[in-house]
Amino acid sequence: MNDGDIQVFITCVQRYFESIKRDVVVVIEPPFIKDEEKPFLEYTGIIGISGKTRGAVCFTANGVMLESILSFLNEAPINRNVICDLVGEIANTLSGNAREEFGKDFLISVPIVSTGKNVRFQFPSDSRNYVIPIIWQGEKAYLLVCLT
Amino acid sequence: MKLLIVDDSSVVRRAIERDLESGEITEVDQAATGEDALRLYAAKLHDVVTLDITMPGMDGLTCLDKIIEINPEARVLIISALRDKATAIDAIKRGASGFLCKPINPPELKEAFKLLIED
Repeated sequence: MNDGDIQVFITCVQRYFESIKRDVVVVIEPPFIKDEEKPFLEYTGIIGISGKTRGAVCFTANGVMLESILSFLNEAPINRNVICDLVGEIANTLSGNAREEFGKDFLISVPIVSTGKNVRFQFPSDSRNYVIPIIWQGEKAYLLVCLT
Repeated sequence: MKLLIVDDSSVVRRAIERDLESGEITEVDQAATGEDALRLYAAKLHDVVTLDITMPGMDGLTCLDKIIEINPEARVLIISALRDKATAIDAIKRGASGFLCKPINPPELKEAFKLLIED
């Protein structure tokens, strides 16, 4: 994983948020590296990565943003189960889309969903941990890319 | 026309159902796993199946193989986040009628569905 590879995930984020509603702008702030504490928000979808590289890709957001996305998708009623389903699906979509560049040996797991800031997942100790800040509808989310 | 929507995400299943709502579809079934999808398909032989690939338990490509075993003429539209060409080609070789990438674009989905039922 290097600085150039992170652009692949930025493209995936851009595509995902544009698909929700084209005229709602998504702002992607410059990614940064954070090897210590990861900035988890209320809901986190985690995709385990194996194959040529290993680690995890996580999408983390607060309920307000996820409820907004569900409203745009005309989903009703909105409850905690649906929010958890969505955060896992977003993580799955962003990780799976990255195979456009990384190929079929970039193997993705089914989503694991965690709530709260205390996320239990064994991240590899030798991964480089990039954080991509995402602002949409005035709410912040992060895509964490933790890959060897 | 009977439609079977297979995806482990309930949000995605409902979005596909809403996007494809039309007078042509008389019955919609949903399955969250490949195993449930096979049970439903064997019982009802749906006219069209939309099928995710990355699911817990049986993955979508294995499920596709088994659907084609049941009915070699099955019309299966893969809808997956896996955006690599090799996976799309593999799915088509195994008998899928089409391949769409997530995130779902409703006009694209409607067009793919239209082509499938006209075929």
